[in-house]
Parts: sequence; structure tokens; C-alpha cells
Amino acid sequence: MTRTPARLAVFGITAAALLFPLVNQNDADIDSAANALAFAALALGLNIVVGFAGLLDLGYAAFFAIGAYAYGVASSWQLQPAWSGFWEPFQWLDLVIRFHTAGGDVVHFQVSFWLMLPIAAAIAAFFGVLFGAPTLRLKGDYLAIVTLGFGEIVPIVARNIPSVTNGAMGLNGVAAPRFFGFDFGIDATPYYYVGVAIVAFLILTSQRLKDSRIGRAWMAIREDEVAATAMGVDRVRYKLLAFAIGAAFAGATGTFYVAKLQTATPEMFMFPVSVMILVMVVFGGIGSVWGVVVGALILQILQSWFLEDLSEWLHALGRFVGVDWLQHVELASSIELIFGLILVLMMLYRREGLIPAARRTRTLSLDEQTVQPARSGFTNLAARDDGSRLPLLEIVDLAVRFGGLVALQSVELSVPAHSVVAVIGPNGSGKSTLFNAVTGLVPTDQGTIRFAGEEIGRLRPHQVLDRGIARTFQNIRLFPNLSVLENVMVGMHARLVTGPVGAVLRLPATRGEEAAARERALEILSLFGNRLLPRAEHPAASLSYANRRRTEIARALAAQPKLLMLDEPTAGMNPAETLELADQIGSLNRYGLTVLLIEHKLDVVAMLADKVVVLDHGEKIAEGPPAAVRRDEEVIRAYLGRSAVFA
Amino acid sequence: MLSRRVLILQLSTTALVGALVSRIRSAAAADKTVKIGINLPFTGADAHDAELIKDGALLAIDEANAQGGAAGYKIEVLLLDDGTATAGQYDPAQAATNARKMVADKGVVAAIGPQMSGSGKAMSPILSQGDLATITPSSTNPDITDPKFAGQYRPKGKAIYFRTVTTDAFQGPNMANYYADVLKVKSVYVLDDSGAYGVGIADTFQAQAEKRGIKVLGRDQLNPKETDYATTLTKIKSLNPDALYYGGVAQAGVKVVKQASDILPKMIKGGGDGLYGAEILRGAGFPAAAGWYATIAAPNILENAEAAPVIDRFAKKYGQQPENYSITAYDAALVILDAIKRVAASGKEITREAVRDAMQTARVETIQGEITFDENGDLQNRVISVFRIVKDDKYPPDDVLHQYKYLGVAPQSS
Amino acid sequence: MSDYGVLLQQVINGLSLGAMYALLALGFTLVYGILELINFAHFNVFMVSSFVGMWALELLGLSGQGQVLTGLALAGTLLFAFAVTMLAGGVLGVAIERLSLRPLRGVPGTAAMITTIGVSYILFNVILLTVGAGSENYPNPLPVVRWQFGEVIIELKTLLIWGVAIALMMALQLFVNRTRLGKAMRATAQDPEAARMMGVDVDRVVVTAFFLGSALAGAAALIFGLYYNYTSFIIGYTAGLRAFTAAVLGGIGSIPGAMVGGVLIGLIETLGGQLIAVRWTDVIIFSILILVLVFVPTGLFGRAAPTKS
Repeated sequence: MTRTPARLAVFGITAAALLFPLVNQNDADIDSAANALAFAALALGLNIVVGFAGLLDLGYAAFFAIGAYAYGVASSWQLQPAWSGFWEPFQWLDLVIRFHTAGGDVVHFQVSFWLMLPIAAAIAAFFGVLFGAPTLRLKGDYLAIVTLGFGEIVPIVARNIPSVTNGAMGLNGVAAPRFFGFDFGIDATPYYYVGVAIVAFLILTSQRLKDSRIGRAWMAIREDEVAATAMGVDRVRYKLLAFAIGAAFAGATGTFYVAKLQTATPEMFMFPVSVMILVMVVFGGIGSVWGVVVGALILQILQSWFLEDLSEWLHALGRFVGVDWLQHVELASSIELIFGLILVLMMLYRREGLIPAARRTRTLSLDEQTVQPARSGFTNLAARDDGSRLPLLEIVDLAVRFGGLVALQSVELSVPAHSVVAVIGPNGSGKSTLFNAVTGLVPTDQGTIRFAGEEIGRLRPHQVLDRGIARTFQNIRLFPNLSVLENVMVGMHARLVTGPVGAVLRLPATRGEEAAARERALEILSLFGNRLLPRAEHPAASLSYANRRRTEIARALAAQPKLLMLDEPTAGMNPAETLELADQIGSLNRYGLTVLLIEHKLDVVAMLADKVVVLDHGEKIAEGPPAAVRRDEEVIRAYLGRSAVFA
Repeated sequence: MLSRRVLILQLSTTALVGALVSRIRSAAAADKTVKIGINLPFTGADAHDAELIKDGALLAIDEANAQGGAAGYKIEVLLLDDGTATAGQYDPAQAATNARKMVADKGVVAAIGPQMSGSGKAMSPILSQGDLATITPSSTNPDITDPKFAGQYRPKGKAIYFRTVTTDAFQGPNMANYYADVLKVKSVYVLDDSGAYGVGIADTFQAQAEKRGIKVLGRDQLNPKETDYATTLTKIKSLNPDALYYGGVAQAGVKVVKQASDILPKMIKGGGDGLYGAEILRGAGFPAAAGWYATIAAPNILENAEAAPVIDRFAKKYGQQPENYSITAYDAALVILDAIKRVAASGKEITREAVRDAMQTARVETIQGEITFDENGDLQNRVISVFRIVKDDKYPPDDVLHQYKYLGVAPQSS
Repeated sequence: MSDYGVLLQQVINGLSLGAMYALLALGFTLVYGILELINFAHFNVFMVSSFVGMWALELLGLSGQGQVLTGLALAGTLLFAFAVTMLAGGVLGVAIERLSLRPLRGVPGTAAMITTIGVSYILFNVILLTVGAGSENYPNPLPVVRWQFGEVIIELKTLLIWGVAIALMMALQLFVNRTRLGKAMRATAQDPEAARMMGVDVDRVVVTAFFLGSALAGAAALIFGLYYNYTSFIIGYTAGLRAFTAAVLGGIGSIPGAMVGGVLIGLIETLGGQLIAVRWTDVIIFSILILVLVFVPTGLFGRAAPTKS
């Protein structure tokens, strides 16, 4: 129902955009609108990097420069190598022509603008991967500084290689685009329409990426990198993808910008430009596609159209209220100051930006808000017990050290398929470390970990998920700003195959996969009855503690694991909810899922576990059925102290 | 129930549409007024210099208006800013937009500016298409008026980018001649400030110096945002050339002058018109600035008796001394005013095409002497004046006209 | 000059530069060590402080390099100027923390860093709009004394830089290692949660870090003005990036690291300029920054990677 006003707004904007040059024939206004569109495109690109993937890039203008100079060099008189046979096929392809000069025949590059748009995008993406590959694994703030460095280096290099770029003096003679014989020349209108087309295309691409497996993976990385990798997202690969696609947007825009300006100087691409694009993204709404477009348009158009008018109004206001400095303030020279203020104020008071990327949530009925705990466990699961009882997970002689601290020592553990094994022990005994070691979040110093016969000790977390191990975390790591449904769908990441191209093109195969994934996710949510399903579109952060726990388990189930590792799943639940969840875990196991469980509540352990393993100070001190372990002296001593043994 | 998000989207649409509609302008029919566009970077790092240029031009225009205008036509000024916050300084894209604005405004018959050649490259093709001539008081990159690039910068063929300064094609080489002939320099080290102007003038200086047999011991580029140039200056000291040449503006220039006085006290030191101005005197001060040579791409103003009253009027009106480019801007305005007068006198309508043609055939007495243009729009009188900073205690230390001693004209290349 | 002589001179130049970078890097690393926040505003606090120092000296009636003082008058003037400048820097730093960073404490992601970028921009433009883009001649009461050792020249002001920088660094080390507040700072840097549970007032520690760091920037700013006889709105930009590289090279969060890093960057700048060319200095330094962050992120002296992700 809310989509109709939104659709109308989009239609209205599109119509306005297309009709604008016909209504306002002023060439200068069309020109500044075209410039504003270029910045909207840049903001969209940075939005993918900063908004979707959460990577702060402070040197984004570097890619803008690369795209600009790529076109500039490929279609101007700057480079004139001597003619030779090598260039014949290129002339045949109309990419170069042979030019007669006094000093002999030379090559003149005249690659078509339309061809350069994707090529420049590709070149920029290549540099994105080149910069990103060694640096994207850095922490957020370090990454920001490194990108700042790139942003500084690129214009300096452009300035220092005058043979290629004409250095500080700027390129001469960059060719204007030609469209079936029509030369764009200097008139702003054709550029304006190209700008509209580019921005529309980029909006579509951004939107499609956002609502796809790729977008979910990016946002998962942004929200919680560790949980994302544990759910199967290859974070290095996806960070690189975001970086490269963002760079591609900037590269294409650079080509457009320089084609319009017909010159390029290194000073056009320096740090203030990168900051400006960031201000546009922050102002418009980090992560919101339409938000950053509106933000960019408003800030650009503010600068070119309305600044003088605004200054006049302020002068008039100053005269009206008798404040002297108001009468003399010139906004044009203070505009940088204003943008700095915008940045600070937005961060302090409205971090979501002008048009937030948030979603709309439906209010819940009273019934949906209060749900009685049920005791039957899951009733509509498919049975997956194949009868095998071989060890699914085998840990032999595992040791994990953090510097001088020995977290785990000589740990042996074997989890038979289709069983429930509980790991218990006092705080600090190494239980979570054990989980982290198995799932690849922590490196092991010694020992082997075998899963279904395969050695997995060296694998990265997303690879471990891929092999069939899914986990939850002791302190619940959901993706707070994603909806419950989206959280669960991230869990499916490794089981889906759509790539960026598929996401953008929305081929039937992709649409089918998305629909099926969504259905499966809803099915999993429905396992928890009315607790999660009504809240499917709500942001995960808004859920109660217990519901967040359930969502996390649902997310893990979505990965279709063979082994489910739960770290204190009932922590923080009241007794009724605890028993409800315990029943649910039991039913999961009955239908074939192997469960490895860390638990403190010994009644749950007694109820569920086939085998109990006790850790203390990083070592296994007991193992066996729950009843036996409960009476074991070592265990009592570990939990309750020496004197308790003799009680 | 509308969500807030959609509401904002709708409001934005309405605002945008409203904005678009309000931009439709009706052509203002003004009687007996003509407009001159002035395009300068009032935002960002070049703002200060832009103000000085504007003041120079406005002085001439206001004086003309006070006397009834040019041939009875009142002069209105359309001030445009080609500096943006995005670039932090002049922005060629904004300059292009401004050029379109001026072309679209039928009342604009001529323009003054731009300040920076980077803007000029973006503006020139648009102005040419629109037959709107501009005179720049400070853009010295030779490419824009070079016939080699005419297809790019004046597609309609006629000169459109006039200048009241000589280009770097002369300022650099003529100083090299001066170094060779007058200062008898045998070896030189060349520095530039990595800006478009600095690189250009240093390049032309270096090329001519080599032609004249001066050994160029090295060439390097300074970062104007950096403060410490001791590294380069020490390196130069170790190479021990006879002289140093600095091509660039005052931002780096002040620091070069200051630090060179410590590290290279005895060397012959000179530069282009970026070193000529109050900022050098104020920023570097004495004794550091003493002894530096500087050139300007115009004849010496002080020699011309007409200069003094103009300088006085400028100082009175704006409270500070005019700079080199304030004078060239003043002269640029004079050229346009003269062109308008001649068009009116010939009985033709004051159109921009007529004004352009009149400018092409200008022969105007100005502070920098008689101004005439060649077929490309460049000054025909390619005088490069050489100055040396010599401390004159009778005047305040930042008094440009008295602390820079005129030495003569730099030798033209044969 | 002989090759040896010029290299030696460049080493001396590099050490002077290095001392300034070290002071700037120190302030930066102090804040990062506690908050794990990259404070972009730090370098413009430096720039603003240099203007404050200039105004303080002008207040005493000085202008330009003409009036030279000696002895007690000189000592008194310098003390006054340092006190004012360091206080101004410290106060500005604390104000920035209070107004724009404390509200964002605990907000995940890069919101705080983005805010410091905004604050940096604001400071930069306030000075640009009020004082203008020109270079200001710095009032300097120091006598110009030069000593020549063979081909190498050392000036009085060079000794001043080293003297002040070393004194301040030693004072900082003493503070951090011997006082309670210093110990609290080190504890907070290692584990804020534990420190808070041990009764450390984390807010006070943060304010102290900002005050000290910004005061050091103020000292660096005054030294800068006295050494170069000049200041302008842009001085924070390049010096800032180089000081940042110094902090990273030395190991971000490490005080001795910042000192060593500063000296190293200063030497790289001068020797790189001498042996290669000045136009590539920025590229060299940024490449170092990137390489260090990628291959040795803890720098020369840094601790193991901080616990927060």
C-alpha cells in the first residue's frame, strides 16, 4: 500500500528530470544540473562502498580521476606515438586514426565515448581491486587512512607524468561524444540526458544489488563482520566486490564529466572532492539509494543555483532583524564551512541522513505480542536421520594459545553424527574458544579438527560454514539493522549462487532463487510459531533478547548445516522459555541434526545430551553420560571448589 | 498512512519541481544598460586574489558609470563564482557552467576573467560558440590562444579569449634571456610549485635557458601545502648553481623566499609574476625578500604618469594597494568600455558580436600602456618587465610599488 | 659542498623536521591509544594553535623578526608564549571531545571518525574565512645564531626544537609512567572495561588524553612558527598527514613509537628529497603508510592489535 505513493514520487521525479531542459531552456542551468547528476552518480558509487559494505573510503576521488584520465588520454591529442603496423587493426576498429604531422605519421586516439564508459569503469574497477586486495582486511579506520593515501597519490602521479596527462596544465582537446554522427559539442542538453541515463542506470543497479544476495552479504559485513563470516560470507571477496563496483561507478562518471568539460586537471580530483562526496552520502542517508541521490542533487544545486539567492535572503533577514554580520555574510565563500557543519551535525543528530535507509515496520496485534511458550518442539521438519553413528566431528589433541595464555590444551572431543553433545565447565574454561577454534575464528596451535572426515583446522570461517557447520554466539551476534527475515536469509548465503551480474540483471533464475530463498526463510521462521513470523520485517535490534536468540538459531538453520553449534542458547531465558527451546533443540536432533551445545543449565543438559564433556582451565576433565558426569569428583571440584567434594 | 520516508521523498520532489519552475527566467528587457560578466574564484584558496581582481575591474566600471556610463549605457555587472567548495578552489566545471550562464544571458556583451587558466580551458569553447568575448587579467597558459589548439578553444574561429597579460610563452623565456644577458648566469636550478601556472612558466624558462647555453643543474617541484623546503634548498646549495628560478605563486613562493634567505643567501634568485605582490613582502618580509628578481607580464605601471591617480583612487576606495592583477583587470575593463563606446559611435547596436569585433581592433591607452591584440587575442605588446626587491625604508614594507625596483624590460627572444 | 657534507646537512634538517612530526604524532597517538579513534581534527588544532601563539607574541608587542630578545626577557617571553599556546591547544582539544565526540562514544562504525573530519573542516575554514589565505609573518624574538661545523650549519632555533621536543617527550613519559592519572591512562588504553571496573574514571582519562595531546600539538605549533617564521591556514594539512604516518610507522598507541616514527619520517623526507626528488616525497611517504599498515600494522613498537574489532 505504501508503494503507490513511492511509485508516484519516482514517476514524478523521472518526468521532471526528462522534461526539465524543455521547460527551462537556460543552458547554464542545464549544465549545472548535469554536473549535479555526475555527483549523484559518484554518491551512488560511494554509497555502495560506505553505505552498503560499511567501508569508509576517503580517497574515492582517485577512481573518479582514473576514469576521467582514461577517457581523456584515449580521446585527445595528448598521446601521439609514432605510427606503425601494430596500429592497423585498431584503425580498422575505428579506435585510432593515422594522422599526418610534420614529423611523420602518428597515432591519434579517438576511442568512442560510449565505448569508454564501460572501459573506464573496468579500468577503475581494476585499480579498485589492485588497491583493495592488500588493504581491505584492515580495520575500518586504518582502511580509511589507506584510502586517503590512495586519494592523495593518484592526483600527484597524474601531475608528475606530464607526457601522459599533460601534468598540472591539464589535458587539451578531449573529444566530445558523438551519437550517430551528431556531435555533442558544447551544448549542455545532450550531456544532461546522458547524465540522467547514467544516474538512472546506477540507481537501478544499486537497488537491485541491495535487494539481492550480494546486498545482504555486504550489509552483513557492515553490521558484524565476524558473524558474517561465520554465516558463510567470504568477506574479503565481498569487500573487494563492493570496492570494485564503487570504483567502476566513479570511473564511468569520470569519463562523463571529462567528456563534458573537455579538459582535466589533477586539481579537480583532490581530497576536498572525496570529502564532498562523503558529505553528500552522509547528508542524504548512508545506505539509502534515493537518499544519496537527493543529497547530492541538493548540495550541488545549492552551490550552483541558490547560493547567491540565499545570501540575498540572509542579507535581507539581517536588515530586518538588524544583525550586522548577517547583512554581509557571503555564503559562497563560507560554503566549505557549512559543509563541515553539515557533516558534524548530521553525525551527531541524524546519523541516518535525510532519507534514511530504514524500513517500514507494521505494528503488531496484541495476539502477536504475547505468545505462550509451547512444549512440543518443532513439528514440521523433514527427517534427515540417515542412521549413521560415525563421528561427525573429531577433535584430537587441540591446543590454542593466545600469547602466553593457554586457552585450550590437549582437548579431545568426538561428536557422533545425529547425537547431542554438551560442553560444560566453569567460566573461562575455554568453551567458547573451542567453538571459535572449530569454526575457524581463532587459529589453532596444535592438533587436528576433522569434520566428516575432512581436516578443517586451517579453513576460514566462511569455508567452515560451507562444509556444514553453523553456529550461534554466546553474546548473540545478529545484524542489528537488518530485518529478522534478512538475517535469516544471510544464513543462506552459502547455499545460494546468485552473483552480482545475476543480481543486476534479475534473470528468471535469480528471481526464482530469491523467491525460493525467501520462502524457505519464512518456513524456518514459522518453526518458532508466532514469535518471529509477525516480526519478520522488523529490525533485529528491536526484538526481545529471547527472540533475538531464536532468530540467531533460525539463521544458523538456514545454512542447512549438518552440525549445529549452539553457544549458551538458553542464556537469559526464563524457565518456561528455556524448556520450550530445549524441546525445540531436541526435535531438531530427532530429525537428524547433530548438535554441539555449550550450556550452563544442567537440567537442559540432562534433558538433551547424549554425552557431556567437561572443560576446566582449557583441559578436558571428564566425559560421559550426564548422570555420570554430574557425580564426577573432578567436575564437582571444578565447579564448586575443593570442600564441596566432601560435602 | 504515509510513512515519513515517502513523505520526505514527496516533499523533495515538490521542492525540486518548484525549484525547476522558478528557474525559468524571462529575458529582462533593459533599456540603456549593458552587462559585463565577471567570473572569478571567490570561493576557496584563490579567493583573496579574486577579490583584488574584481576590485580593479569594478573601479573602472564604477568610475565609468559615475560619468554616465559608456556611450550613455549604464554598465551592470554579473558576478559569477567559479570556485566551489567541492574543489576547494577554482573549479573548471563551475567555470563552464558560468560561461553558459553568461552566454545565455542576452544582456551580457563581454566578460572579464577567468583568473585561472584551468577555468579558461573549460570556458573558451563555450564562449566562442556564444560569440561572447572575455578578457582575462591573469590567465597566462599559452594553449588557450595558441592557433594549434584553435579547433578546440575557439571552434568558431574568431579570437574570443583576450588577455591583458602576456602569456607564459614570453614571461619565462624573456627572463631566461635576462639571466643570460644581464645577470650573466651560467648555471641555474629551476623550481616550480606544481600548479598549472608554475609548471608552465618554469617549463618555458627552462627551455629558453638551455637554448641560451645556461646549464640547468636540476628541476624539481614543490608542494605548496608543505612548509619545509630546506631539503630542496639544501640540495640546491650542494649543487651550487649561479642562480635559482622559481615558477609559481605566492603560496609556495613566500616559503621559498623566506627559507632561501637562510640557506642560499648569496645566490641570484628570481621568478615570475607570482613573486610580484604584497603577499610576498608581507609573508616573507625583510631581510628575506631583499634581492629577489620578479617579472610581470606587462610594462611597468609606475613609469606611466596616469597610473598614480588610479592607484590612489583604488587605495582610497578599497583601503589597500592594488596588486599587479588589479591593474590588468582595470585595464581589461577599460578595453571593454572603449569597445562599447566605439560600437555605439559607429551607430551599430550594442551586441556581443559587435563588441568582440571592436575589442579585436582595440587601441586603448591604459595604465600599462597602449593595448592592442593580435589575431589570437594575445597582447601585441609583449613586454616583460623585470623588477628587483630592494628595501626602501621611506615606504611601508609591504608597499609593492616602492619596494620592487624597476630594472627594465627583459630581452625578447630573437 | 661535498656529498658527505650535504647528506649530513640533510640529516640535520631531517631531525628538526622529525622533532616536530614527533610532537604532533604524540598527541595523535595518545588519543588513539585510549579511544581507538583517528582524530582528523588534531592537525587543525595544531594549525589554530599556531595562530594563537602568533597573537600571544603580538600581544607582547613583538612583530616580525626584527626585535630580538636575550636572557631573561627571552626566557620569559617564550615561557609565556608556550604556556598560552599549549593551553589554547589543550582547551580546544577538550572542547572538541566534549561537544562532538563524547555524544558518539560507543556508536559503532566510523561515525566518530567522520565527525572529526567535519570538525577539521570547520576549523580550517574558520581560519580561512577570518584570517585569510595569506601567509602570516611570525613574530620571533629568537636571536639568529648560526654555528658552522665544516660544511654543516646548525642554528639556534634547531637546538630549540630539539630541546623543547625532548623535554616535552620526557615529561610525557614521566607523566604516563609515574603518575596515577598516567597509569589510569595506560590501563584504559589496554582494556577500557577492566579499567572502568577498577574504578578508573574513563571520562576523565579521555579528557586528559585529549588535553595533553592537543597541548603537545600547541607546543609543536609554536615551535613551528618560531622555526619557519611563518604560519598559514594550510600548515595542518601536510604536516598532519606526515605526522600521522609517523605515528603509524612507530606503532599507533605507542609513545616511544611516535617519537621514533617522527624522526624516521623526517629523515625519509629530507634524504628522499635529496637522493630522489622532492616531487615524489608525498608518494614515498604515503606508500610507506600503506605498506606499514598492510604488512606490519602494529608498526615498530606497537602492541598486538587492539581487542575491539
